[in-house]
Amino acid sequence: MNRERERREIEAGLVEEVEAWLRGDSSRREALKWALKLGALGALPASMLSSSVAWAAAELADPSTPLGQAQAAAMKASTEGPADGSAYRAVQAAKKFSGTTINMVYEEQLQALEPRNYSGPVWQDLTGISSNVIELSHPDQYSKPIAEHFAGSGAYDILDIEPAWIPAMAEGGVIAPIDDYLAKYANPADMADYHPLYSAMTTYKGKTWGFFDDGDVFMLYYRRDVFEDQKLKDAYKAKFNQEFRVPQGWDEYSQVAQFITDQLAPNIYGSAHFRKFGGPGNQFSFLQQYRSNGGTFFDDQSMRAKLDSDAGIKTLQQMIAANKASMPGNNEMDAVAVWVAWLQGKVAMIFSWPPSGRLSAGYAQSDKAINFVPKSTVADKVGYAVMPGKNGEHASGYVKALTSDSPNAEAAYLFMQWATCPPVSLARTMVPYALRDPYRLSHYKSPLYRALWPNAKDYLIGLNNAANNAVIDMIMPGWQDYALSIDRMCTAVWAGDDPKASLQKCGAEWDSTTDKLGVDKQRDAYQQFKKLPGAYADNTIEKLGKAVTID
Amino acid sequence: MAGAGASAISGRAAVMARNATMNGAGVARRRVRARTWSAWSDRHFKWLLVAPAVILILALTVYPLVYSVWVAFVNFDFQIPGHDFVGLQNFEHVVEDPVARWSLLTTAFLSVSSVVIEFLLGLGLAMAMTKIFTGRGVIMLILIVPLFVSPVVVGQIWSLLLQKPYGPFDYLVGQLFGPTDVSWLTGNPWKYVSLIVGDVWQWTPFMFVILLAGLTSVSPELYEAAELDGVSRWQIFWNITLPQIAPLILIAITFRLLDAVKLFDIIFIMTGGGPGTSTYTTSFYLYQTGFQHFHLGQATAGSWIFLILTAVLIMFLVRRMLRPERA
Repeated sequence: MNRERERREIEAGLVEEVEAWLRGDSSRREALKWALKLGALGALPASMLSSSVAWAAAELADPSTPLGQAQAAAMKASTEGPADGSAYRAVQAAKKFSGTTINMVYEEQLQALEPRNYSGPVWQDLTGISSNVIELSHPDQYSKPIAEHFAGSGAYDILDIEPAWIPAMAEGGVIAPIDDYLAKYANPADMADYHPLYSAMTTYKGKTWGFFDDGDVFMLYYRRDVFEDQKLKDAYKAKFNQEFRVPQGWDEYSQVAQFITDQLAPNIYGSAHFRKFGGPGNQFSFLQQYRSNGGTFFDDQSMRAKLDSDAGIKTLQQMIAANKASMPGNNEMDAVAVWVAWLQGKVAMIFSWPPSGRLSAGYAQSDKAINFVPKSTVADKVGYAVMPGKNGEHASGYVKALTSDSPNAEAAYLFMQWATCPPVSLARTMVPYALRDPYRLSHYKSPLYRALWPNAKDYLIGLNNAANNAVIDMIMPGWQDYALSIDRMCTAVWAGDDPKASLQKCGAEWDSTTDKLGVDKQRDAYQQFKKLPGAYADNTIEKLGKAVTID
Repeated sequence: MAGAGASAISGRAAVMARNATMNGAGVARRRVRARTWSAWSDRHFKWLLVAPAVILILALTVYPLVYSVWVAFVNFDFQIPGHDFVGLQNFEHVVEDPVARWSLLTTAFLSVSSVVIEFLLGLGLAMAMTKIFTGRGVIMLILIVPLFVSPVVVGQIWSLLLQKPYGPFDYLVGQLFGPTDVSWLTGNPWKYVSLIVGDVWQWTPFMFVILLAGLTSVSPELYEAAELDGVSRWQIFWNITLPQIAPLILIAITFRLLDAVKLFDIIFIMTGGGPGTSTYTTSFYLYQTGFQHFHLGQATAGSWIFLILTAVLIMFLVRRMLRPERA
């Protein structure tokens, strides 16, 4: 939009100069200067110009739909108030930065589509601040900002980062705390609207490092028709003398999965997991299950890894049993392959991120941006439950963080506040193609969200309950290294390596990482991590007595 | 008044004369300066011509190289503030890291296996293509197509073909031989076979093109003379063809080996270094250490170790290559 304006100004200037030159009022040099400016603008990559033009208009839903109504409510909160609301305050304060451009990093493809189509253009209409969306792959969302920080380029204003990256990026000076801005602009009531699991995840060393913006908690999605099948119930009872039910523990999970596979394969398999090397599935699965089994990460004093333990062995054995009970190719599947199998009705249970619910219902595929995903064949057959063992991983998630090199820090902060405030974030999480998942209490309670598909209410209640019992990623320096070691260990075990020897090897890698980063420093960070809700199974939100009940 | 006017005129004339003299002196000085510059530039013309290239090389090659030496001896880790001198600690981290040692073995195994197979297949294809037959041009065109495909795309193609449960190769094998538990990208030894197949598919045409050039340059008289002497096909191949194309074989193997030891793209796409760290090559290890986890000091030290090892290999091969010329 700005470039378009610039082009028009330059063209007008050129015409003026040429006419003045013809009249003899201006030098040839001046006219040539204008011509060169126009040429240089024309030489800009077409993509930059086209994207600018594309941002001119927000893509808004039909006002009669729940999403359209949510978008209208977000607009009203931004323009009419309440005057003390975070949305209204952000917009009013941001108007003085009109004409600037903020550079925002998003995960490539679908995640980046929402700020391109909705929040970016709406923010520009409201404040005159344009936005440039930079798409990066998930691993690059960590590495590229660090590289840019090394170079001191100031290329990015806003980052989307995992909460677990906060310590490393804060210590490395890549991101800046936002406490001063929060005190100046944010409405405390809007901050209290976060689910308690998420409100603590953006803090490190007593400072706040961003706005939580994506409730990525794992939940169990199961086929109600399979679990309600009377023949299966009878057969299970006859075989195990137990009730055939949605599994509540990990041993029961693999037993039930194996039973379904034995009974229904190749039409339906018991389960499928994303266990592909290099993906995050292994680390998340292991860490949630390990803590559910009572495992701890480090010795409090020596900081030596405690993976080689009964809990470690038990976890790997349970995971091996679950792999065996799953559909062929389980160990090479990524998250999308699991979704495809699930949507095609090939699997009776999966655990994954919250988009699973929107995909299962067929709501996500209603938008052309995501219609490459198969249509759901299980839309009216899906049930939601907390994970076996109760403790599902809050796997990754996103925090909007402000870079320390940002040349537009205040304007960038205000966008972050506006985009994550209750009414705007509700509209953003309701966009069909968005991979941004509900995280506020107002999201879980929203009648508009609950109207998106017939059992959306159960889905939202399920997500809230999952957050009540969730364990979180290891929010401390070195997370990347520790997680990589877990992935290496798991894939080696799936390929036939001895679980105990693998746990020892992984533990040695953890020790090496800890030594490299400094034992004392890591001990401090670990003690801080342990204070966070969800660090372990014994201090989940529910165990801390802070569970949220949603009806 | 007249006297005063005359005096004024004569004074102006004097000023003008002085100015003229000064201008003349200035012009003369400028001319001398120009001659001096011209003489200097004539004397140093060759250096002036070389200067841009030298500056460019210093800026783009020598400076980063020297900088990397510094990085290898200091703390340069994103998560550890400061750049304190650490001596050989970064090198020790690499040498003591079992993953680094394993990656070196994997690199040696994969690169040697791939290059040997590529050489044998390339030689066979080149020999078949020395004869003129219908469709030869089309076949040659098809044969060299993989050479122009990006290695990342090659990795993606083979990954899609081989992965379970949706890969067509697995489906085909299942239809022909019944369902199989083999994991082509993660099972032993299939993960190595898959990587080698991907690399061989792409780089055999390189061997083929070079060896074909060598074979077509061998003088036909040698073969005619051998045939007249009743020499067997095997003897012709062993005693005439191979010695004649030996220098080209060495060049092809050297170039391929130098490229193969840097194997990264296919690993990155097809196995991600897994399962575990079993398919980590040196390049993949350095990438992970340096650019995913930002242990830049350790990664740079590892790069220097790898460079020295590769340099030894290069020197050996280059000396072998130059030997016939010396003779």
